[in-house]
Amino acid sequence: MKSGEMHVQYDAIGGAGLQFFGKVSASIAHELKNVLAIINENAGLLEDLSYAAQRGSAIDPERLNRACLQFTKQIQRADGIMKNMSRFAHSVDVFDAQVALHELVCLVANLAGRLAAMRKLTIEVTPAAIPIAFSGNPFLLQNLIWLCLEFAFGATSAGSTLLLALAKNETGITLRISGIDSLENNFPSRMPAGYEDLLAALGAKLSVDKDTKELILDLP
Amino acid sequence: MTEKILLIDDEEDFLAVMSERMKARNMEVSTASSAKEGLEKADSGNYDAVILDLMMPEMDGIETLKRLKEKNPDLEVILLTGHATIKQGVEAMKLGALDLLEKPADINSLTDKIHAAQAKKMLIVEKKNEEMIKKIMATKGW
Repeated sequence: MKSGEMHVQYDAIGGAGLQFFGKVSASIAHELKNVLAIINENAGLLEDLSYAAQRGSAIDPERLNRACLQFTKQIQRADGIMKNMSRFAHSVDVFDAQVALHELVCLVANLAGRLAAMRKLTIEVTPAAIPIAFSGNPFLLQNLIWLCLEFAFGATSAGSTLLLALAKNETGITLRISGIDSLENNFPSRMPAGYEDLLAALGAKLSVDKDTKELILDLP
Repeated sequence: MTEKILLIDDEEDFLAVMSERMKARNMEVSTASSAKEGLEKADSGNYDAVILDLMMPEMDGIETLKRLKEKNPDLEVILLTGHATIKQGVEAMKLGALDLLEKPADINSLTDKIHAAQAKKMLIVEKKNEEMIKKIMATKGW
């Protein structure tokens, strides 16, 4: 990796990249803490049951089974979180790569899933008809999609579903985020800070279609 | 004496197991999986303590704490959180939270806090009763 070129790209987006990394890390840490709390309480419950058994109480095998199922469920949940975290962390390893775009969008959607759930929103990603590859800096694109989602979260009513759909056209690639309630002409002023630098660094364009309630990201 | 507590957390699996463990410790437990449901339940129940998650959908724990305290300033609230910033901790204490514990929490620490909450509530009730008796005695001239 040519670190000089990489620095130029990351310098161009200022502190936004670091903030994005921080937000994602904080969200992951919070989610893992919740998983640990559930595992901790189920382990404690087994201790409670064993303590009661030592004093002559019968243990309900079904209760033991439910605790074990919770361990399995939470371990699988943590494994999913860690896999996403690992993929995200490694996205800064390369700054000029060819990546499967559907997977990249799914990763950002998963990383933003907890923030969406906090606002009672659901994110769905529709696969493109054909596999689409993106050439460029995957971290910058993840950051830009994240900022688009942050905007969409703030402009959409609780209970809604945000749909992310990719398509390849003659001029490039389009990512449409639909289901946004409140799209106005002044949407750029409501976008989170740093998005313009990311658009410039990626050579991308952002627009809205108020009729279809879509935020449209055009990539080269 | 049995403590009556309300657990508010959006993690249903956490609520289920925590509630079971608290019940095994002779507590009367109600649960709510959202701030809205928690506020409604807090209105209708005479709880010794509310155990409140800091990060929840729609309304966070700080806002929920504020509303709980507005309705019932004497209600004891213990915040339980996956991660809290110092700023959030200070804000929670300023708003009158009894304590802020980090998840995963030690059940003994939590039950100690609940006992402390109940003892504090009992003192408040006794003090209020004393004041009421004093007022009655003053007006009746006994």
